[in-house]
This record gives sequence, C-alpha cells and structure tokens, in this order.
Amino acid sequence: MPDLSNEEIKGLIEKSYKARANVLKMMKKGEGHIGGAFSALDIMTVLYNCILKHDPNKPKWADRDRFILSAGHKVMGLYATLADQKYFDEKVLWTYNSLNTRVPMHPDEKVLPGIEFPTGSLGHGLAVANGIALSARLDKKDFKVFAILGDGECAEGSVWEAAMSAGHHKVDNLIAIVDRNGFQVNGATEDIMDSALFEDKFKAFGWEVKTIDGHDISSIYNTLSSIPFKTGRPSCIIADTIKCKGLSFGEDKFEFHHWHCAPQEIDSAIDLVNKQKKEEYAKIK
Amino acid sequence: MQKSNNKADIIYDDPRKVVAGALVETGDKNSDVIFVSCDSSLGASGDPFRQKFGERHFEFGIAEAGAMGQAAGLAVSGKVPFITAYMPFITYRCFEQIRDDVCKTKLNVNILGNNCGLSVGTLGPTHTIIEDVTVMRSIPNITILAPADGPQYRAAILKAAEVDGPVFVRIHRQKTPRLYKEGYEMTIGKADILRTGKDITLISTSSMISKTMEAADALAGQGIDAEVINAYCLKPIDSETILSSASKTKKVITIEEHTTMGGLGGIVAELLVKDCTAKLEMIGIQDQFAVVGTYDELLDYYGFTPEKLVKRIGEFISSF
Repeated sequence: MPDLSNEEIKGLIEKSYKARANVLKMMKKGEGHIGGAFSALDIMTVLYNCILKHDPNKPKWADRDRFILSAGHKVMGLYATLADQKYFDEKVLWTYNSLNTRVPMHPDEKVLPGIEFPTGSLGHGLAVANGIALSARLDKKDFKVFAILGDGECAEGSVWEAAMSAGHHKVDNLIAIVDRNGFQVNGATEDIMDSALFEDKFKAFGWEVKTIDGHDISSIYNTLSSIPFKTGRPSCIIADTIKCKGLSFGEDKFEFHHWHCAPQEIDSAIDLVNKQKKEEYAKIK
Repeated sequence: MQKSNNKADIIYDDPRKVVAGALVETGDKNSDVIFVSCDSSLGASGDPFRQKFGERHFEFGIAEAGAMGQAAGLAVSGKVPFITAYMPFITYRCFEQIRDDVCKTKLNVNILGNNCGLSVGTLGPTHTIIEDVTVMRSIPNITILAPADGPQYRAAILKAAEVDGPVFVRIHRQKTPRLYKEGYEMTIGKADILRTGKDITLISTSSMISKTMEAADALAGQGIDAEVINAYCLKPIDSETILSSASKTKKVITIEEHTTMGGLGGIVAELLVKDCTAKLEMIGIQDQFAVVGTYDELLDYYGFTPEKLVKRIGEFISSF
C-alpha cells in the first residue's frame, strides 16, 4: 500500500485526539482507565480507519477482520473509536459506568456492536484470538485477527501458552500488538515484573517481530500494512508508547493507569489534549 | 432400561471407548465439531476422531488455560469444540477461562473431564478431583452431565454438541455395567427414576448408580422398598422429580463419589430446604483430599461398596 499523505495523517491524528477528548468526557463520573486507552489510541485509530476489513453496518459480517482487545481495561479508547466508526450512537458513550450501561469498564460483546469478545481479566485475549484465527484456516477464509495486549499483561503465563501455540501452528493471520507503555497499576513494568526483551521472547516462540513508535501514525500504518511479516509465522508488533499519551500531566505516570478525577478537571484536560493535537500536527513532515 | 437378574448377562462398557465412538459419530453428523486436546488425545478418547478428521483435531499441548481460550475462539467462530484432559487440569487449571471465555459468552464448548471421582486413586490427590461438580456448577450458563453407563455416555456426547452453550461431561475411568438400552437419548434437565419405591429415595449419579442399584436390590431382600433416581444431569437439576419422590418417601439419601459439599448432596439439600420436610443423609466424601489407593480399595475405604451402602442406608432408616 502507498504511504499515507500528510493530509491523511492529519485526519487520523484528528480522529485519535477527538477520541481522547471523548474518553475524557466519558470520565465525568470520576474514573476510568485512561492511561492505557490513550497509549493505544493511535494504534486503534489506524486499525479501524485504514487496516481492518470491517463494516459497522454489518458487525457480524463473516469475512471481517477481528479485533480482540486483550487488555480489556483500555476499552474507553475502543468505545470512542467504535462510536466514531458509527457502530453505535456517540450518546452511548456518555452512559459510561452507569447502571446497566452498554459501555462498562470492561467490554461486553452481548450489549455493544463491534465488541468481538468480552475481556477484562488479563491474559485471555491472545488465546481467543488464536482460536478465531485457526477457525479461519478451517473455513478457508482469509480474514486476520488482531489483538492488543498490555506489556504488564504479558506477565500472565497464558499469554505465552497462546504465543507458543500460534507459533507451533504457524498462524500467520494472527497479529499481536503489545502496547509497551512501560507502566502498570502499581508502577513501572520493569519494577513490577521486568518484561525486557519482548522481541526475543516472541521470536523464540516462532513469531516475526517488529518494533515501532506506537504514536507515529505513518509507522503504525506501514507496519500494519505489511502483515504477515513472514508467511507461516504469526506477526508481533512491539509498540513503544507513552502511558496516557496526549494528556501532558498524566504522561508516563503509573497513577494514570486508572485516573480518579474530579469532574471539574475534565474540561481543562480536554483543552490540554486539544493543545497536544496541534503539536502532533506540527510534527508532520 | 434393560434389567437382568443374571450377572453373566451384564454388559460392561469402557466409558473412554464409548466416548471415542460418540465423538466420531457426532463429528460425522456435524462438520463444525472439532476436537481439542492438551496432550490428551490418546488416553482421552480422541484418537479415533483425530485419525478420521485430521485437521479438525487441534493439539494445544500441556497448556490448558491457553487451550480453553483457543477453544473459545474456535467456538465464537461457529465451531463446536470438545476439549478434554484429566479432570483437575481441564477444570481448576483453566477455571477462569471456562468462566469468562466459555460460560459468560455461552459458547458451545464441551468440556470432557476425564477420570472423575476416585477412578484413578493411585495417582493421588493431584489427579483425583472430588470437587469438580462443586466448582463447575457455581458458574452460570453451564450444563453438567454425569452419565452412568455406556448408552448414557454416548447420549451425553451427542447431546452436548446440540446444546446451545457450554456442557461439562464427567467421565469415569472404570468400566460400567449397562443399564440403559442402546440408542438411549438424553434429556437435559431431567433425572430418571430407575426403580420405584415408597420407603426411601436414593439419589445417585455417575459411577455410583450401579452400586446404588445393587444396594437397592439387597434392601428389597430386607423388606425395604427403595426408589432410585439417576441424577445424570447435575445442572440444571430435575427438581420436580426429586422433590416429588422426597415428598413421597420423606427420607432421602444422596450417594456420590465426590465431596458432598456442593456436590449432589449439596444440590439436593438446596432443593429440599426450600419446600420439603424430608430428612436428608448425604453419602459421599467429606471436606478432605482423597486418600491414595486402588479404585476397589477406595470404594471400600469411603463406604461405597453395595454392602456398606446397604448398612448405612439401613441405619438411616432405623434412626426414625
């Protein structure tokens, strides 16, 4: 695929930062997993706008690519992205965390179109994604299955059970994207459980691995456009990201994994996000 | 049901062989049926399926949590997986995957727990799980089947593929005398009255059914007319049949090769406490890890031989 034009990059940044502003608006009840939502949002924006074969009018279309948010707590970013894609009315977002909401703190596929699988407990998504990818092989379909994992999540042993199986079964329609923002609930990932050498770990399990800047729209797009990296091997993207990217006072702070905020903080936070958006525009070469 | 008074006429079925045949049969009927193993295809009934259907068998290695998640992924795409391993590994090891990925989603993943009860007692308590019903029945949306003989094992496998949602089938290792006719079809949510009686209700399940029937025969010789209920479907439980019998006899004994805590004993207690005045006795294993021994040794140790059952049942009746 040809490279994105500057105009296209600007459009994607616009969507990604609009999603961040909507995530903040969702948090008016006072809390949310903003850190991981913001670190993964540029990737989700490129996926849904440029990469995934999908149709919001037919969320169960049999040939669609699948997206599994293994790190389910990042879902506010996904909700905002799906709303932008018109999977459901944007007004649904404002019910975040309300009684019987369709947009709870962890996704529920039974109540919201666009959610492929319920996640929340970490370490489940990659195995499910691999199972879906294997079903495509049985049904002779060519859809791909994308999964976003957190770097903290990768301490779960079940992640590596799935990684081993995908390598063993040569599942080359499976793509794992590790959102390596470097922080988890209680601190820096390297202090809690050092996940160094992700690249080597996935390679050892039979994956083809690329490391990218998870906020560089062009890089995300070009990498996701070249899947599978190698025929007969699952693809892994290690995306170096910034926790809470886009909200300056929360960036690279583990305390913003789950931010408890006062409602009056939201509007000024949205202003900061919009300011950051302009700085991202300025970086376009 | 077929009944024979001549022990030489009794046919014994190996549950694993019956399940193996039933898996191939259901695989023939439905091309979406697949088999998932965790280094367990040979010992756990999957080899004929693997040989016949090739690519519809998935080996995921000794990694049950990952395997259960992958089975869920296959099921969400319309496949009908049968996933199997030794009982502890296919329940406890992957319990959260069963809860979140299979039951919350209500996917048609069929979990075959091999070697239930005391059937592999010499392997010790890591392999001898006597609490599987207790933990598995706590999860919403799951159906739990505990077949008692060959025709019931076959029927359970065929039915599991049809049920819209997860089914957990308990599979015993020991050969079992045949009670039901060939071609028997299983109904979910029902229990069978194998023998009618008026003096006491014996509710039993799985491997204990044949022992309970023998005990009931012996009790008849003592003038005690026992009703025997086969609770082959532990969830949803057939409350109507159980409560109706309990109301009639006013005395109920549950018999299971399992802990009574949350097992068949607990299930029946939950029913009776609501609207029945019948007295209940639970025969099973108490709150402990199973001791080590051969199957026959353990049956005797825990009082599960027909002779010991007769004694215990007689004591219960004479306590009134």
